[in-house]
Amino acid sequence: MAEVVLENICKTYGNNFRAIDQLNLSVEDGEFLILVGPSGCGKSTALRMIAGLEDITSGSLRIGGVDVVDMPPKDRDIAMVFQSYALYPHMTVFENIAFSMRLAGKPKAERKKRVDEIAKTLQLTSLLDSKPANLSGGQRQRVAMGRAMVREPAAFLMDEPLSNLDAKLRVQMRAEITSLQKQLGVTTIYVTHDQIEAMTMGDRVAVLKGGVLQQVDTPKRLYESPVNAFVAGFIGSPSMNLFEATLKGDDLTSAAFAIRLQDAAFVRRPGLRSYAGRKVVFGIRPEDLYDSSLESGRKYQTIPAKVTSIEELGSEQIVHLNIDAVRVDSGDPDAVDDFGLASNAVARFEPISAVRAGSEIRLAVDDAKFHFFDPETHLAI
Amino acid sequence: MTRQKRSHHKLKRAVAPYLYLSPSLIIIGLLMLLPMATVIAYSFQNSAVLRRDPSFAGLKHYQAIFADPVFWASLWHTLYFTCMSVVFHMTIGMVFALMLNSDRINPILRNVLRVLYILPWLFTAVIIAVIWRLLLEPNGVVNSILMQLGIIGSKVEWFSSPQTALHAVTFANIWAGYPLFMVSLLAGLQGIPKDFYEAADIDGAKAYQKLFFITIPQLMPIIISISLLDFIWTMQVFPLIWITTGGGPIYSTEVLSTYTYKLAFSSYNLSQASASAVVILLISLGLTLFYIRYQRAR
Repeated sequence: MAEVVLENICKTYGNNFRAIDQLNLSVEDGEFLILVGPSGCGKSTALRMIAGLEDITSGSLRIGGVDVVDMPPKDRDIAMVFQSYALYPHMTVFENIAFSMRLAGKPKAERKKRVDEIAKTLQLTSLLDSKPANLSGGQRQRVAMGRAMVREPAAFLMDEPLSNLDAKLRVQMRAEITSLQKQLGVTTIYVTHDQIEAMTMGDRVAVLKGGVLQQVDTPKRLYESPVNAFVAGFIGSPSMNLFEATLKGDDLTSAAFAIRLQDAAFVRRPGLRSYAGRKVVFGIRPEDLYDSSLESGRKYQTIPAKVTSIEELGSEQIVHLNIDAVRVDSGDPDAVDDFGLASNAVARFEPISAVRAGSEIRLAVDDAKFHFFDPETHLAI
Repeated sequence: MTRQKRSHHKLKRAVAPYLYLSPSLIIIGLLMLLPMATVIAYSFQNSAVLRRDPSFAGLKHYQAIFADPVFWASLWHTLYFTCMSVVFHMTIGMVFALMLNSDRINPILRNVLRVLYILPWLFTAVIIAVIWRLLLEPNGVVNSILMQLGIIGSKVEWFSSPQTALHAVTFANIWAGYPLFMVSLLAGLQGIPKDFYEAADIDGAKAYQKLFFITIPQLMPIIISISLLDFIWTMQVFPLIWITTGGGPIYSTEVLSTYTYKLAFSSYNLSQASASAVVILLISLGLTLFYIRYQRAR
């Protein structure tokens, strides 16, 4: 077990494409850190650099206090779980798990003892003689974990290990990996593009965009206090609704509405006052938009919206809306999918809501739940 | 749809595939099965082809060729020629494929080598035979180079000496045949996921361990398939041997194909030649069945 420290790590390819730019990250001993970001953000490159499968252009990388920049992968004391699992199809489960021990020339009895222990932990004992082709996706995933565990490494590196599984199995394996990591207490860096995995599995989450680290924090803090509009849009599903509005005195105004901001909003964000008379980006999460017809008890302000479509999920309704305000792009390519063609906002309503597609409604909003960003830099105010 | 119409439609659907297959089946029947059956029939006849009403000879011709020491020498030469060819085709093909697949070699050089290595495949057997006859002539380039390097003291008559002729002709066949392995193995190598090697790198595998634990097992289906096919094809090689040595000197390069040819067209013993041809057919058939079984098992 060890601490993994990345300092000013850069990766530039031959065509001058900078995949990673000045990455600084410190993963504590035993911590489960998630590297998350949209496709092409450099998260897998970063992981492969830690593994030694990609050269580091500049910067320093220490695992357990040892500078490993010039070390080959085998000497870095890490184990990696690949997206494809990389199980050797001609070898049995036993042979796959024991492969690194075989390479290291460990005696047969020792190999058997260690593999049996791991198989027991991963519930693979009955499958040790099977070939990977005869295993289910979840079983293959566990074999890949076993192969990593057998080396008793200082750190686990996992590159989107659940992306080949179907949705249900992914939920199950998410829980299995998390509990296994807690049980083993091994420092783990886990790459995913799925922000639900990021939020549910990691002790901390590092969000990358275009090779640049945006924010590293606990899932809760990432969700509640995103440092910029990108993190705000990327973390959370459906994405946060981001709109352009003008701050006039205490009122946040657009063509269709004016919302009076409470003093608390300005106390929490002293910088917000300086935007008086200027444009500002405000964000609100889908669960913080309510159906005003169900909110008679609470005194929320309302804004008009048109319902364009509804997704009934049983436990809730995902309501696509059109609000007469300019939507702001967070820069997350995946967030575009959350909005339909005719809509620019998404709300999560309780299942008892009776709104219908095509109807004009009033949305109740709690201004205490607003997030504010600079319209130019997209940084949080 | 009425019942009659339905059964007519069913019949049409059942017959259609056979109708599509019929042209190729007729051609195979006329050009392969019929001659094969005729040769098998000849092998049991006295004076086949030469007489209008040949008599039944039983196993006489088989007994005759099995009693002929030249037949056994041919069989041994065929096995030597075939086994050496297949083993070296595979070895050379593998080495060249690994070289062409390696990213340590400059991509431009790799493309040049790819063209060079595949050249032998462009030549017909007759051209290859002529090239090697010229190269291995007593006054040819090979002798001259070997003498200059001091490897041989005097000119060697590679194709005319009973001690070297079989090796020389096998060498020419190895040169001519490795590109099939090279191309097939290269395709196989390119299909091996990169993750396998990266996982092995992390596990600490050395280059030879990656070759034996990953590359070769991954290529095994291709190696076995191509080896079996090469075995079947090489066993039947005729033009290369016929043009370089004609089976000589003193039967030292006689293989089953040249032995059969001579029986048929030099001795005009077509019945015995047919019996020899049937022996080749049976050996090839055995290998083919093995090949089909292997393919099915996969």
